[in-house]
Formats: sequence, C-alpha cells, structure tokens
Amino acid sequence: MSWAAAGAMQVLALAAAPILPGLVQSLKARLQGRRGPGPLQPFRELARLWQRSVVAPEGAGVAYRMAPAVIASSLIVAVLMVPFAGEGLGWPAGTDALVLISLLALGRVAAAASAWDTGNGFALMGAARDLTFAVAGEALLVLVLLVAALPAGSTDLGAMWSAAAGVGAWDEPARWCGAFGMALVVVLETGRQPIDNPDTHLELTMVHEGPLLEHAGRDLALLQWAAAARHLLVIALAVGLYLPHPAAFWPAVGAMVAGAVVVVIGLALLETWQVKMRVLAVPRLLAAGSVVTLAGLVTWLAGAS
Amino acid sequence: MSVGVDPLSGAFLAILGLVAVPAALFAAAAVGTARAPRGLTALGGGFQLAMAGVLVARDPVTFLVCWELMSLLPAAAILLSHPDLAGRRTVFQYLAVTHVGGAGVWVAVLVLAGDGAFGDPAALSALGGGATALVAAAALIGFATKAGLAPLHVWLPRAHPMAPSHLSALMSGVMTKVSIYGIVRVLVQWLPDVPAWCGGALLAMGGVSALGGVVYALTQRDLKRLLAFSTVENVGIIALGLGAALLLADRGATEWAALAVAAALLHAANHAAFKGLLFMAAGAFERAGAGRTVDRMGGLLRTMPVTGGAALVGLVAFAGLPPIGFAAEWMTLRALAELPLTGAGGWGLAGAVALAALAAAAAVGAMVATVVAGAALLGRPRGAAAAVTGDSTPGVRVAVLFLAGVVVALGALPGLVVPSLAALAPGGGGLAAAPGLDLPGAGPVRTLALTAALVVLPLALLALRGRRTAAPAPTWACGQRTGPELDWTAAGFTKTLRLTLAGALRPERRLEIRASGGTTHEVVHRSRVPELLEERLLAPAIARVLRSARAARRLQSGSLRAYVAYLAGVVVVLLLLVRIGVLT
Repeated sequence: MSWAAAGAMQVLALAAAPILPGLVQSLKARLQGRRGPGPLQPFRELARLWQRSVVAPEGAGVAYRMAPAVIASSLIVAVLMVPFAGEGLGWPAGTDALVLISLLALGRVAAAASAWDTGNGFALMGAARDLTFAVAGEALLVLVLLVAALPAGSTDLGAMWSAAAGVGAWDEPARWCGAFGMALVVVLETGRQPIDNPDTHLELTMVHEGPLLEHAGRDLALLQWAAAARHLLVIALAVGLYLPHPAAFWPAVGAMVAGAVVVVIGLALLETWQVKMRVLAVPRLLAAGSVVTLAGLVTWLAGAS
Repeated sequence: MSVGVDPLSGAFLAILGLVAVPAALFAAAAVGTARAPRGLTALGGGFQLAMAGVLVARDPVTFLVCWELMSLLPAAAILLSHPDLAGRRTVFQYLAVTHVGGAGVWVAVLVLAGDGAFGDPAALSALGGGATALVAAAALIGFATKAGLAPLHVWLPRAHPMAPSHLSALMSGVMTKVSIYGIVRVLVQWLPDVPAWCGGALLAMGGVSALGGVVYALTQRDLKRLLAFSTVENVGIIALGLGAALLLADRGATEWAALAVAAALLHAANHAAFKGLLFMAAGAFERAGAGRTVDRMGGLLRTMPVTGGAALVGLVAFAGLPPIGFAAEWMTLRALAELPLTGAGGWGLAGAVALAALAAAAAVGAMVATVVAGAALLGRPRGAAAAVTGDSTPGVRVAVLFLAGVVVALGALPGLVVPSLAALAPGGGGLAAAPGLDLPGAGPVRTLALTAALVVLPLALLALRGRRTAAPAPTWACGQRTGPELDWTAAGFTKTLRLTLAGALRPERRLEIRASGGTTHEVVHRSRVPELLEERLLAPAIARVLRSARAARRLQSGSLRAYVAYLAGVVVVLLLLVRIGVLT
C-alpha cells in the first residue's frame, strides 16, 4: 500500500517540481524587499513556452534535437529511483545510489553535445564550466553517497533511507560531515549562488543557463522543467539521506515535505546572502567539501575498528 | 609444448575474437593502400596468434615464447609502416620499456616453473611466503608494464597510435587485456594468500593511471593519441577492480572479491569493444580524408552517418553513460565502495579515495568524450573534414556496427555474463544469470528496463514536442556574424578544466612579441603540456642508464691482452673467495 502511495507521490512530484524553484524565487524576492512573482510563476512560463514554436539555429543536427528530451528523460528516471519516505517505484532504473551519478552525467553530456552541435560559443562556455565542476562534483557526490551508505552497509537507496531514520544516526560525526558535502551537492546541482546564478542575463557568466540559450518553445519548456526536476532530485536525496525523519511511512511523508521546505528556505537565504564566486574557485570549494566528507569517513572507519 | 583452454582463457579468447574479427574486416579494406601490405597482413596474423598462444599456454616455455612474440610482432609492424626516425625511436622506447619492465614476467614465470608450480595447484599451495611475495611483486611489475599502468605506461601512448588503425585496435583493445589476463591468472587464481600490499599497489597504480591517463587525454589533439591515453585510463579502471578484489579476498569477503574480478573483466570486454571501435573509426576518418586532428574534423555524423553513428555509440561508452557502457563502471565503483563498507582500517580509506578518484576520472572521461563527439562528429564540417565525400566501405561499416552492437549489448544485458565472470574467481559461483544486476548489498540495477526507458522516454517526449518549428535562425553571438574561423576548438572547451588542473599539469607557455617603433610585428604563442612522469622521472633514469652503458663500453677495448687480464683477474678473485670460505 505505502509502496503504491510513494510511487504516486513520485509521479505527482515530477509534475509539481517547478514549484520548488518558484518557491525559492518568490521567497528570495521577499527577502530582498521586492514583491516578486508568486511561487506558481514557473508553471505559467512553461504554459507560455508550450504555445511557442521552436527556432532551431542553422546547421544544428540530431544532438541538438534530442538533447531536451534526453535530459528530461534522464531526470524522470533518476527521480523515480529516489525513495519518497522510504518507498518508491524503483523502476526502471532500480534503486542503487551509484547509478544516480551516471544519470546526472548523462544530462550534462547531452547538454554539452547540443552546445557543440549549434556551435554557439556561450552555450559551449556554459557546458564546459558545467563539465569542469562535475569533476570535483562527482567525486564529492560519490563520497556523500558512500557516507550515507556506511550505516546501512548497502548502497540500496531504500536501505540507506532506513539507516538514516530516527535521531540515533546523528550521533556519528560522519553524518554531520556528509551533510555538509550534501549541502554543496544541492547548491551545485540546483545551480544556485555562490556556484551559479540562475537569474543572470549576461551570457559570459552563465553555467547551467548557457546551453539553454539556443533552445526555444517546447524544447526550452522541457529544459526548464528538467532544471526544476533536478531541484526535486537533489532535495529528495538530501531530505531522505541527511535530514532527520521518522521510520513510519505517513509521518515520514510529513517530515519529507517539511524537509523540502527547510532546504528551499536555506537556498533562498543563501542566494540572498552570498554572491557568485569565481568560476575557478568552485572546484576548490567542491574539493574542500570532499575532504570534509572524507574526514567524516575516517571517523567512521576509526570508530568501527 | 602443451596448450589448453579453461574458462579464464576462454573469457579472454572471446575478447580477442570480439576485436580480431572486425579488425580483419577493417584490414581487408584498409591494408591495400598501406605501405608493405603483405608484411603487415602477415605480422597482424602472427600477432593475433601470439596473443592466443599466451592465453592457451600451459607450460612456461610456450608462455614466454608467445609473450615475447606478442611484443615483437607489433613492433615490426610499426617499423614497416613507419620506417622513419620517429618510428624507430618509438619502437626502441616501446621495446626498451616493455622488456626492462617485462623482465618481471620472466622472473615470476621462472620462479613458478622452478618449483614446478606453473599451473599446478598442489605445488602452488606449497609455495612459501617469501616465494609468493617475490612472484606477486615480479608479476605485478611485469604485467603492469605491458598493460600500460602508470608509471610504466610511457611507451603506450606513443606506440599504439603509430601502428595501422586495425593493429592499434588490437594493441589497445586486446594486448593490454592479455596482460590483465596474466594478473588475474597469477594473482587471483594461482597464488594462495596474496599479501594485501599487492591489492594496495594495484589500487594506487590503477588510481594514478585512471586519473592521469584521462587528464592527459584531455590535452591531446591527435585523435589516435588521445585514444591511446584513454587506454591508460581504462586499464587503470580495470586495475582498480582487481585491486579491490585482492583486498576484499584478503579480509575474507569472497563474494564481493569475486564480483570485483567480474567487474574488472566486464570492463575489460567493454573497453576492448569500444576502443577497438573508436580506433577503427579514427582510421576510417583518416582514410576518408578528415585527418587525425580532432579540431580539423566536424560534421562527420552528417558526412559519414554509419561510421560516425557507430563512433558516437563508442564515445557514449567511453563516457560511461547509461544505458551504454555504464554497467562495468558502476560495478567497479560498487566494488570499491565495498572496501569501506565491509571493514575498518586503512584499506577502507584507500578504497574510498580510489572511489573518489574513479568518479573524478569518469567525469573527466565524459568531458573528453564530449569534446571528441562535439569537435569531430557534431556540428558542421570544418577544416580537413569538409573534403569528406562519403561513408567508408561496407567492410569497415560492418566492422564498426558489429562492435557498436557489442557495446550496447554489454550495457543492456551485463547480468548474462557477470555470473560466469564471477565464477572465474575463487568462491564466486552461485549467482543466477538475469538481464540486470541484482548484487548483494546493492540496489537492483535493471539495465534492460533502463535501456528501454532511455530509448522510449526521449522518443515519447519528442513526439509530445511535435514538429512545430519556425524558420532556422543564425546562432546567437550577441549579434556578431559567426564563421568557421570563430568556431570553438577542443582546446578552448577544455581550458577551464585545464586551468583548474594547472597546478598538477604544469603547462609551459611562451609568448614572444616582436615590436619596434610602436607597432607590433609578430606575436608568437607556444604552449605545451609536458608529460611529467616521463620527463621528470623516466628521462633522467634513461639518461643515467645510457651514461653507465657508455662507461661500461670502455671495458670492451678489443685488445686480446685486456681480455686475458680480465680472465686472470676473475680466476684470482674466485680462488680468493674459495680461500676465505665464501665459496665452497
């Protein structure tokens, strides 16, 4: 029963994902003293884009045409892997945590391939930065997942969620270090300040926005939805693995929604408080996160012996 | 001479066959226009036979004869196709490094043969701790040199691209795997109680090779040389799997030790297929007139749809992206994660560091694959590739399509081969064959469903998107006109990453500005990424060896009296040694 409910929630959340960036944007506007758009604004934008026709750049080929669909598909598959309140469809990709890394890489590479296909310099610049961040980012993500897997003794996402349930898990210093790494992963994958600025209109500063430049109409709608789904994915991961939650199903659902709100507020605060850092400083920040996570791992290994 | 086939030989013979058959198809189309076609064909055939000989040899003499032939025959083939100075230098370096390092194989095999333990389980279990450590260390050095593991890899990125493309495919795809066979045979199957430091050494060499190989691949312009550096990376990934296997076996986790061996072997097959495919595609591009410089290609997916499409499949496997080619990488990641998961201690930390290194290497690999795909296959034709008029000959197309099919199948149905591969290691039986991977302590990975989903979902979304398209517009460059001379290059795309790695890569730049009378006449910019291991570590060592060889040559004066004096001296020294009782 809870399995079906969690599956239905996963599908619903995929449809409702744009509310997450919408909430961050409207909250950020309030914090900055502006009235700002409502949290439902992304849905209006998607509806508007869906009416528009696509304008393809001259000479673009199959990689450009396929990219939005491939990116959106990789995120659908990835979100269906992550358990909601400990349960989920686990289909089609199964539920192993390490597969998530490859699925995120698929989206990045598809965006970069589309940029090469159009030959747009700004798109290529953004894609190159995204792939550069991914080098330190993937090392960080794999360590964060490993630290979450330690108490479970398994890389199955369901088992990792169960091992993180309750408050006892927080006695381990490893979990605190992993939570710091997870926070960096959230900021990286959602493309928020200080790593990336989602509101920028200056092409030279773009990271995640760059590869979107040449897309229009329904393609752009798919890509914007995919960006929202990436918010959903990392927030579900962070809330499930690194925020306290009860083990029973329905209380855990409540805890999950509350956790998502906490992360959204955190992102809005961070965006208000921080400015974007230099591109070349980002890999160093992510490497520092890896070192902290690794230190947590050392405390676990020392404690286990 | 005794030969025989067991499942381990069979697995590697299958890898040999997977690459050799398409390579023969490619050679049939390509060798006719090469220099010395008859010699190349004969040497190519002999090379494949020698590799098969190593795999089936059951006595030390056969093994060593085939092993040496496997090194020498491709060297001769390189000399045939490149009789110039560069070719001779490369071959000298290749033979020198692989023979000095490869001496380890001789030591390992001869020590084993001396105890009658070459393949004899009873004699092997009677081997003492000292002999085991000696054999293990010698085999590690010897096979790692020939496999191209850092720091003994320097010959590989030079020698592999020099050979004709079908031989490059065989060298990168299969010859390195024959060395992996040696490691699996000696360290995993034969030696009982391999010391843990062997696993640690494999982890270290594998980690450095995986990261270093792919980072240097990032700085290459020549497609075949880039592919050769990526071979160093992939051999490193295989070594990481084998290192994890040895360490897990050492702590008694036999189930995952066997699965780690299976991960290494699965990646060996995966890499053989996609690297063979990419080398042959590179050869086909060169034959079609696109040259070998990545930046001067472009649009090959349009001008050579079949070869280009197959190369794109190979590049997706190169990047380790789902659904193609990621199964082996996932299994290796998972096997490394098992080290910190199953126990405490320093090896757990080493496993975690190796895991992070592999994840970072995979991300750099994704970037390299993107650059090759983007600069060579996608977009519009530019540079030399603009002259390409049509796809390759049917034989070449069949060869690359076959390998693309193998790569896709290994990604979609890894569960069909993993149980048999795991059964090759001690204690690895008992896994049922299924399309996907459902391993203990890991979530299920439904590879077949994932493959189907990643094909069906994008197509469904494309159908949903419809065909409503306005007239095409020029690409956005802030209103500037764009042209081929403004196209991005591979160097530009990788610049951000190379800047973040500058501390490790130590690039050298020289900027010369010639100005007089207030006007600039000429600006010359040269930059180069030195191969540090080679220039700082190996070049001084080689220079020292050559110097001492020159010094030793003075002994050979050619004068009869000097030689008589040497003989008399030796006799006197021997008599003295007997006198004081050192010799009896």
